[in-house]
Amino acid sequence: MASIAIDNPGSVVLLMGNEAIARGALEAGIGVAAAYPGSPTSEILPTLAGAAGERDIHVEWSANEKVATEVAAAASLAGIRSLAVMKQNGLNIAADFIVNLNMTGSGTGGMVIFVADDPGGMTSSNEQDSRAVAKWIDNPLLEAQDAQEAKDMLKWAYELSEAVMLPVFLRGVTRLCYTRGNVVLGELPVKNKKKAYFPDIWDMYNPTKSRFTAGPSAVAHRNLHEKLEKARAVFEESPFNRYSGPENPELLIIASGVCTSYSAEALEVLNIRKRVGLLKLGTVWPLPEKLVAKWLTAARKVLFVEETDPFVERSVMEFAASRLPEMDNPVFYGKRSGHLASYNEQSTDLVIAAVAEILGLPQQIRDPDYQRDAAEAMNLVPNRPINMCAGCPHRATFWAIKNAIALDGRNGFVCGDIGCYSMSFAAPGFYQSRTMQAMGSGAGVANGFGNLQQFGFAQPVLAVSGDSTFYHAVLPALVSGVYNKANFTLLILDNSATAMTGFQPHPGTGLLATGETAPVVNMEALCRSVGAEVSICDPFALGEATGTILEMMKQESGPRVIIMRHMCQLLKAKRKIPDKYHAWVDQEKCLGDSCGCDRLCTRIFGCPGLMWDSAAKKAVIDEAICVGCGLCADICPAGAIKKEEVN
Amino acid sequence: MSGTKRGSKNLLEDVIKAGLCTGCGACVTGCPYIVVREGRIVVLDRCTLEEGDCYRHCPRTRTDMNVVSGKVFGVPFSSAETGHALTIAMARSTDHLISKKAQDGGTVTTLLAFALDARMIEAVVCTKMDESKAPHGFVAHSRDELLQCAGSSYEAGFALEAFRKLPAGSADRVAAVGVGCQIEALAKMKAEAPVNGGNPDNIQLTVGLFCGWSLRSGYFRPILQGMGDPARIVKFDIPHSPHTSFDVYAEEGKSSVSLDEIRSAINPACQYCWDMTAEFSDISVGSAGSRFPGWNTIIVRTERGAELLARARDAGLIEIQELPEWRLAQLKTAALNRKRTAFKRLAEKSGDSQDLLYIFGLSEGFADSLLAG
Amino acid sequence: MAAGTLSKEPFNLIVAGVGGQGNVLLSAFIGLALVREGFVVSVADTFGVSQRGGSVTSHIKISKESSYSSVTLPGGADIILGMEPVETLRALGEFGNPHVVAIVNPRPVHPSGGGPYPALDEVKRAIIKLSAKATFVNATEEALKMGDPIYTNIILLGALLGAEVLPIGREAMLPVLQERFTEKIYEVNIKAFDKGIELVKAAAA
Repeated sequence: MASIAIDNPGSVVLLMGNEAIARGALEAGIGVAAAYPGSPTSEILPTLAGAAGERDIHVEWSANEKVATEVAAAASLAGIRSLAVMKQNGLNIAADFIVNLNMTGSGTGGMVIFVADDPGGMTSSNEQDSRAVAKWIDNPLLEAQDAQEAKDMLKWAYELSEAVMLPVFLRGVTRLCYTRGNVVLGELPVKNKKKAYFPDIWDMYNPTKSRFTAGPSAVAHRNLHEKLEKARAVFEESPFNRYSGPENPELLIIASGVCTSYSAEALEVLNIRKRVGLLKLGTVWPLPEKLVAKWLTAARKVLFVEETDPFVERSVMEFAASRLPEMDNPVFYGKRSGHLASYNEQSTDLVIAAVAEILGLPQQIRDPDYQRDAAEAMNLVPNRPINMCAGCPHRATFWAIKNAIALDGRNGFVCGDIGCYSMSFAAPGFYQSRTMQAMGSGAGVANGFGNLQQFGFAQPVLAVSGDSTFYHAVLPALVSGVYNKANFTLLILDNSATAMTGFQPHPGTGLLATGETAPVVNMEALCRSVGAEVSICDPFALGEATGTILEMMKQESGPRVIIMRHMCQLLKAKRKIPDKYHAWVDQEKCLGDSCGCDRLCTRIFGCPGLMWDSAAKKAVIDEAICVGCGLCADICPAGAIKKEEVN
Repeated sequence: MSGTKRGSKNLLEDVIKAGLCTGCGACVTGCPYIVVREGRIVVLDRCTLEEGDCYRHCPRTRTDMNVVSGKVFGVPFSSAETGHALTIAMARSTDHLISKKAQDGGTVTTLLAFALDARMIEAVVCTKMDESKAPHGFVAHSRDELLQCAGSSYEAGFALEAFRKLPAGSADRVAAVGVGCQIEALAKMKAEAPVNGGNPDNIQLTVGLFCGWSLRSGYFRPILQGMGDPARIVKFDIPHSPHTSFDVYAEEGKSSVSLDEIRSAINPACQYCWDMTAEFSDISVGSAGSRFPGWNTIIVRTERGAELLARARDAGLIEIQELPEWRLAQLKTAALNRKRTAFKRLAEKSGDSQDLLYIFGLSEGFADSLLAG
Repeated sequence: MAAGTLSKEPFNLIVAGVGGQGNVLLSAFIGLALVREGFVVSVADTFGVSQRGGSVTSHIKISKESSYSSVTLPGGADIILGMEPVETLRALGEFGNPHVVAIVNPRPVHPSGGGPYPALDEVKRAIIKLSAKATFVNATEEALKMGDPIYTNIILLGALLGAEVLPIGREAMLPVLQERFTEKIYEVNIKAFDKGIELVKAAAA
């Protein structure tokens, strides 16, 4: 039985935020969940998929977040509660659908969209605060503080969604999604026996347009605003907004999401809970103005603690401005005042520093002697850059690309994309990717470069894409390229997984989210049918791979495709596919840092399984890390790296 | 020339980007970062060493002629027009099989085939043309393999990259055939032994080829393609007189293209080359000219070269004749003019008549006298 | 620490290692066992990109009553379980203080790109200097003896519990491990776990 579906209300378990959200969705009685993998949300869907059979729900990985949101919307329109899950960038993709859905509303089945931002951009190509999207496209927005609250908010969110007939946003951040905390389980409802039916079909005797088609937009927009006011009224009474502290606080902290925890801990550490109040907002947009007004009146100073934009800060200040000149306003502190940054994560110590500054309190200082010793010790600590795993096929692919571009000699370059192979913008992929924006942008941008010949452009253009990325966003770019005769070579790095986010299946893998078999959407057949020439290579066959890239680079026709196919090494390990070789470095033959080598394997090739012994001045293979792929043996100029097959 | 740094980055700046690279292939052997691709040097990645064999052995980085001459001949650099020499004569092979395929007198192929057969050496580093007649470095271990290499290629062949094909730590005795820049590179290897890889003492014998210039692949290939299927070509030749055509002998017969057209494909780096007769070899070989078809001019420079020649003659494989005075005079004039032109071009390039870029160690006034003339 | 009690409220444990060493799993086990013993726990990890050989730090905050934010304050660690030497030092640098206790696996994992790795002796000396007590447990060596480096983190888990610095002991952890490991591999993992306990006790002696 899936542990997330334990029927034991009242029991306490340790769940990470993502698991709690999955549990919350089950407790709310959803019938459908759809998503595309995106850190930090990636575990939500597989957790639900694990319980799909038992709870009799439909759980799917959609090709991209827009489709996932559309799938969830359909369920809602047919009266089934649904959940769509995405990271910040996914919301950008889904937004066009949501703005249109909002014109006519969601259905009788509540719909919740969970979006997680990544403050600090730890696992993202950009940093953004998605809450502004909810404000811009007019959806009610909730923000959860911890795993328990995330779970509890979901049921409430569905009720709200059904009351106002709009999708409700629940927003989280990396620290919410990936922090495990105590969660008290609630009740699981009786399994969903509601019949799915879309009521708004054509009635030939009374023909009218469906509620769910567009226009007139202005009227729909007005109706949308009225729905938001309804939500605002509900928010005024919401249990997710709480005040703790004195009646007339010297300083009022208004915090939302995980920042509430940082603020609470800061007050604890500074021991000023009797002086400073904490207003926690769980319902963030529309702003519960009456509630906020009460505490603005009670406090002389207000500090906003949130990630990353001054979103609540601006909403409150906007509201406060409307109260002038009748009401006095407190002094506002936050991002505008410079007490907290409007980028990167917040943390308890940053809040401590801000509060101490505002109240004139002494700062906490670490033991100065220890501080000095610690700073000195840091000189010993090397940076630990991220790298592709030992045995990663991307290392082989980018080695082939690097050599091919050099041999070609016409200043070729790679347009990069999103996935593990994104690391190719840096040392792990030999700095080969020279542009990188969103999913599918590699092929998209290559299209543009590929049609600049009339301006004298003569550089060969390569684009890279992962297998999952291909189905997500690259296909339209390839179609556009064939149609517009753009000159570029697309390399699809097919490692049989959506690897960076955790090896989720996708349309090319033959597996569903639930583990059942699925039809394979054949990548090469798809590319050929679109009109592109396709070659398939194993990147580990370096000579052939390099030669194929060189050949393709020379062509001047429309886009051609090379599928670099080799399973992800971590996936191989999961599936217990054994190591192929035992590899070691013949210390006698190793040339090390002398002429004829200059540490090619450890300095440039950079597999984490290779170490440089600076005492012996030789390369050594770390048997605890090496997976036996044998690629290093193929690139060693002295033939010092040996490999023998393991049976 | 950059000061004291002698690494691959300096090679790239001082030689390749400076337009001095002759395509000899010395930098390629032993280096994983420098490769040849379609007749161009390609640097695949960054080597961080301050000093390397690539720079040390390149014939177009700082070369002290006296030091090299001392290493090869045991005497200072000769001011003779055709360099240090014991004898200058004419020679040709008596083996018709060789003469048919080889250039002019077939002397080079005959001498080396003999050296292999007589077990004086185990391998020959030379140039072999592929199906499309593009030259590549090759290591021949037998007479048959050597025969496959007979016949001149006029494209820069980077032949010295073939040293890489010799097994590391091999004790095989090796002979090498090359044009002036390649022989100079090999001489520099003797002066400063490679750090890793081939022992230059294994090089028992070097045979130099007279050379006027070589052609760049990128420009020559299209001309060649325009003359038919390269796979059917048997031999190239440029007759000395009249010196106006580039002849291509194919299975179906001979065709020609004007020498002017070919000149457009000449490697510009060759204008900075002083060495028409491969002055640092054991024995240099060239064409004897239109008046002596099927004969080579040979310049014997060392005892080793003399010994090989004598043994081959005694075995009845080589015919040797005296080179007529007038022909010798012609040779000397041509060689001297070559030096003069090269020095002038180098001085123009450096902007300083005292700065010949890569040439050092000349005797006082030697360069000036040539520049003045 | 006596079972069931906390010497400090809240109590901060940091597990510092390199992506791929399995410290996320480790911190999940610790968290689970603590919750079952009635503690309020917050466990924060960095996932995803860190798997690719970068630094991974897991913060485990243990309390009797409240739910605190997950990340340790600078200088706020009570215990650092170091799966790798320079990562231990990195954690000490930011979160260490004069009373911190360190349990460390002294097996270097070189950063990729071939950057220099400091002399291990120097690193160990610095770790000892920056902690009130530092115990070195050769977990990787033992794991390799058992046939697979994958046992390293379970051995370290044993060492942590065997050191009796947490309010839970072996008995609290066994049911957690039993749930996680299938019958086939439970035995060998318990062996590894007990080896860790043995090693840390031997090192203390």
